[in-house]
Amino acid sequence: MNSRNFSQVGRSVPRIDGPAKVKGEAIYTDDMVLPRMAYGKIKRSPYAHALIKKIDYSKALALPGVLAVITGEEAPNKWGIVPQTANEVALAVHKVRFHGEGVAAVAAIDEETAEAALNLIEVEYEPLPVLLDPFASMKRAKEVRIHEEAPDNILHQAEQLFGDPDKAFAGCAYILEKEFHTSYVNHAFLEPHTSLASYDPQSGQLQLWSSTQVPHYLHRQLSIVLEMPMNRIRVTVPAVGGGFGGKGEASSADFCAALLSRKTGRPVRVTYERSEVFATNKGRHPCHMKMKIGLDKDGYIQAVDFDNTLDGGAYAGWGIVVMFYTASMIHLPYRVPNARARVRRVYTNKPTCGAMRGLGGVQPRYAMECMLDELAEMIGVSPYELKMKNAVESGYRSVSNLHVPHTEFKKCLQTVVDKSGYLEKHGKLPFGKGIGLAGGYYISGTAYTLYLSYKPHTTVLIRLDTEGGVTLHCAAADIGQGCNTVMAQMAAEALGVRYEDVHVVSGDTELGTFDLGSFASRLTYASGAAIKEAAKQINDKLFEVAAGMLGCRADQLEVKNCRFYSTFEPDKTIPWEKVVDVYTNTVGTLTGIGHFSPPRLKGIDLSRGARVQGANIGHSPTFGFSAQVIEVDVDVETGKVRVVKVTEAGDCGQAVNPMSVEGQVEGSIMFTLGQALYEEMKMDADGRMLNPSLHDYKVPTAMELPEIDSTIVESYDPTAPFGVKESGEGPVQPTIPAIANAVYDAIGVRFTELPITPEKVLKALKEKKEKEKQ
Amino acid sequence: MYLNHFEYYAPRTAGEAFELVGRLGDQAKVLAGGTDLMLILKEKLIKPQYLIDINGVKEFQGIAYAAGKGAVIGAATKISEVEHSAIIRDKYFALYQAAGELGSVQVRAMATIGGNSCHASPAAETPTPLVTLRARVVIKSAAGERQLPLEDFILGNRKTVLGVGEILTGFILPEPAPRSASRYAYIGLRNAMEIDAVNMAVNLVLEDDGRTIKDLRLVMGSVAPRPLISAEVPAILVGQEFGSELVGKAAAAAAGEARPISDIRASAEYRREMVAVLARRLLQEAFDAAREV
Repeated sequence: MNSRNFSQVGRSVPRIDGPAKVKGEAIYTDDMVLPRMAYGKIKRSPYAHALIKKIDYSKALALPGVLAVITGEEAPNKWGIVPQTANEVALAVHKVRFHGEGVAAVAAIDEETAEAALNLIEVEYEPLPVLLDPFASMKRAKEVRIHEEAPDNILHQAEQLFGDPDKAFAGCAYILEKEFHTSYVNHAFLEPHTSLASYDPQSGQLQLWSSTQVPHYLHRQLSIVLEMPMNRIRVTVPAVGGGFGGKGEASSADFCAALLSRKTGRPVRVTYERSEVFATNKGRHPCHMKMKIGLDKDGYIQAVDFDNTLDGGAYAGWGIVVMFYTASMIHLPYRVPNARARVRRVYTNKPTCGAMRGLGGVQPRYAMECMLDELAEMIGVSPYELKMKNAVESGYRSVSNLHVPHTEFKKCLQTVVDKSGYLEKHGKLPFGKGIGLAGGYYISGTAYTLYLSYKPHTTVLIRLDTEGGVTLHCAAADIGQGCNTVMAQMAAEALGVRYEDVHVVSGDTELGTFDLGSFASRLTYASGAAIKEAAKQINDKLFEVAAGMLGCRADQLEVKNCRFYSTFEPDKTIPWEKVVDVYTNTVGTLTGIGHFSPPRLKGIDLSRGARVQGANIGHSPTFGFSAQVIEVDVDVETGKVRVVKVTEAGDCGQAVNPMSVEGQVEGSIMFTLGQALYEEMKMDADGRMLNPSLHDYKVPTAMELPEIDSTIVESYDPTAPFGVKESGEGPVQPTIPAIANAVYDAIGVRFTELPITPEKVLKALKEKKEKEKQ
Repeated sequence: MYLNHFEYYAPRTAGEAFELVGRLGDQAKVLAGGTDLMLILKEKLIKPQYLIDINGVKEFQGIAYAAGKGAVIGAATKISEVEHSAIIRDKYFALYQAAGELGSVQVRAMATIGGNSCHASPAAETPTPLVTLRARVVIKSAAGERQLPLEDFILGNRKTVLGVGEILTGFILPEPAPRSASRYAYIGLRNAMEIDAVNMAVNLVLEDDGRTIKDLRLVMGSVAPRPLISAEVPAILVGQEFGSELVGKAAAAAAGEARPISDIRASAEYRREMVAVLARRLLQEAFDAAREV
């Protein structure tokens, strides 16, 4: 199957889920109503840091229509996406650590009664000092401790050392050292968290419908919090209105719906308000970074020294993973022979930070790509020349042991520079107009499960018979990224049928076979590998039957376009359905099952605790790459930055669905453009969020959409199933630094703090003018 | 986010509406587009006992224009109708621009021009050009009618002169002077869906020479509790030939007059600076446009 002569893979087909969504007919969790369903609501803390002295919910319980009230003490088991650092609870126990943390939950016959009941719950708090800044948090740790088990208010800190950066810096001809600060941003997905739980007291079975990207991890966390075996819980994922990492772990909505359903014996649905989405956050970590890059006299990178303080908010979440990713991300897409990273993830009394599209990459990428731009200027060469000189090539292995089996990164850089006219424009545009270049990459899947098991990450079951045709089972979650469509395309390719013929059963832990979840840009690669294996089992059986029917040998057959035919005698051919019919009539339903496990790297032995630095975070079977040239107009009177044009070129390996890739790329650019220029969660001194609505939290609108010229560069990773790589997180990486570099080209100011707002631009222009006068 | 319980009335005629507002008094709120009202009801900022939906009252809707006399815009006219009216675009360009910037397409289809003034948000879009264009409001009740300039109608943040039993029923816009033009602009982070950090409208009338300013009105929004009519800009420019030096002086004067605050959207300093930028730009645009008329 390593032929590139595909018919179903590489086809721009409409999304399977597209028509229902466009017509407004897709069923999201909040659309679902079950008989006797009750409505759940969560009472939230008005303090960012306080002890809970007393909760009295007798008045709420007495309100007609209220069915049950729960508090944290009823389900105190700690959960967390990373089991080693699990420190969250369904509802706060004894203490709240951020403004808006849940302290109690109500189930009532309707939403209005539930809301009224919340106001009747009396909570007595003893306010504690509020720590909102990670540096203040570390400094005041002796006096104010957010978690008992973290005496220094640090979740985790680490140092990684590869080679000898100090020695390397000593020999460098050019050294640049700078600080960068990124902002506190949220995913702003359209659909708020929603969860509907139905517990059956007779059977002891719980079914939960949830807007989640990780049905499996949610399944595990429910088992822990509810103290129920996993095989008594079924998680189903209806249509999901976006996740971007924010639904990459369980939410209180899931636990409260489940606990209230178990308590009342009725189905209970909990849907967040937008303010609750912001209050529970799990968005991107603000990073306070120091980076030092050294080049030799010819412009080759010799060393990188990286120091990062991550503002993690109140709980652990994905924190330790994000922290190690930021350390790992300095090793690509340029050759770095010596590197050191010192990283720490600090607790503050803010809604917790977590996973967000391109996690851990966006922040260091911003720093590195801006610094390489500046270093190019120091040397007197084009940033393009410097980046091309240092760009990695296929087969590269970083000092941190990241192996890049295949890359077309240089082709990405070349393409955007050629198509945008970067070299003709850079440094030559009139004041206020600028052009910037940046590169980036991301992983295509991870090396290990978070709970350190060697089990396969994805299992695909393909079922085939006359009656049902081809049905693909996998508990993967299509959260809008399009995995159902590409799984159908890859299965069709492998079986020699059309993608329209494949039914996909996904997003359900009972009907689907195992999958880890939608994160780390892993699904196309992982499911592709499992599909190939499952399809081979099916083809082996069908080939034998077809061979018998055609009077030739099975190993001389091929299947394509719904026909079997002999490779030697093309007139020996038979329709695929006929063979399936014969197989079904004689043997019955045919199944094939395939598993995907990431390739293991030497030097890691979980049983002995031996692992490479950073617990192997950042390791991936392959990597996707992207380069962008961005053109901006800066209004030098108002300070407003307008992104005019984005030229993008990406290496996503073989594009399974090019139209879908284009959507991912355009979405990635807009997603990140917002963080570069507009988005920021703001808090007052008490930790209360000032803009917890899409009214005041400003995501870009259609009016901010620049012209986007994207290219899928010719690429095929021979080590990957169907040659594929990721495309949903790589194109996120270059956008911020490309904008920052373009703003520098336009007005001569380098912004090292996000977002780049009009007020900051105007202030910087004034300071520049003052300096020039002196 | 549940509303308090209220009784809902949907009068079909102006008479019925006046009777209801008179009878129900300050326990009632008038529902026009609802794009602001529903939000403050959800936030429980107010808890009216009654809502009087005036969307069914035809007399409160529509745009009428008589050459030489001017236009009358019904208070319950949708912003989208104002935005797409050829006559508004032709005669009252600043209002056309402001209507096109209010909220989103969906909001404009619901929101009304009267509601925008009655809600009296300091950052509102349409009061700024309406005051600039010397709009008078028509206030009616069962007892009768009164008219006053819009600047006297809006008292401050969410405060108007509207008394118990009264409804704002329309705006009267005078016929634009010959050789005049109006322009509107705002400052906000994005190019749509903004709560303006600053907005401004200018109406400029030229003498027959096409250079001398005969009359001028500049109004600022979002930099004071209500639309702020510049006194200094006309004092500097009226009777003078248009020129960049004078415009610069006028812009600085406008910035001096502004009384902005710092909030989540912008700092006071930035707002003040933007007043000068908008004044410079709008004066130039309005001047260029007036020469074309």
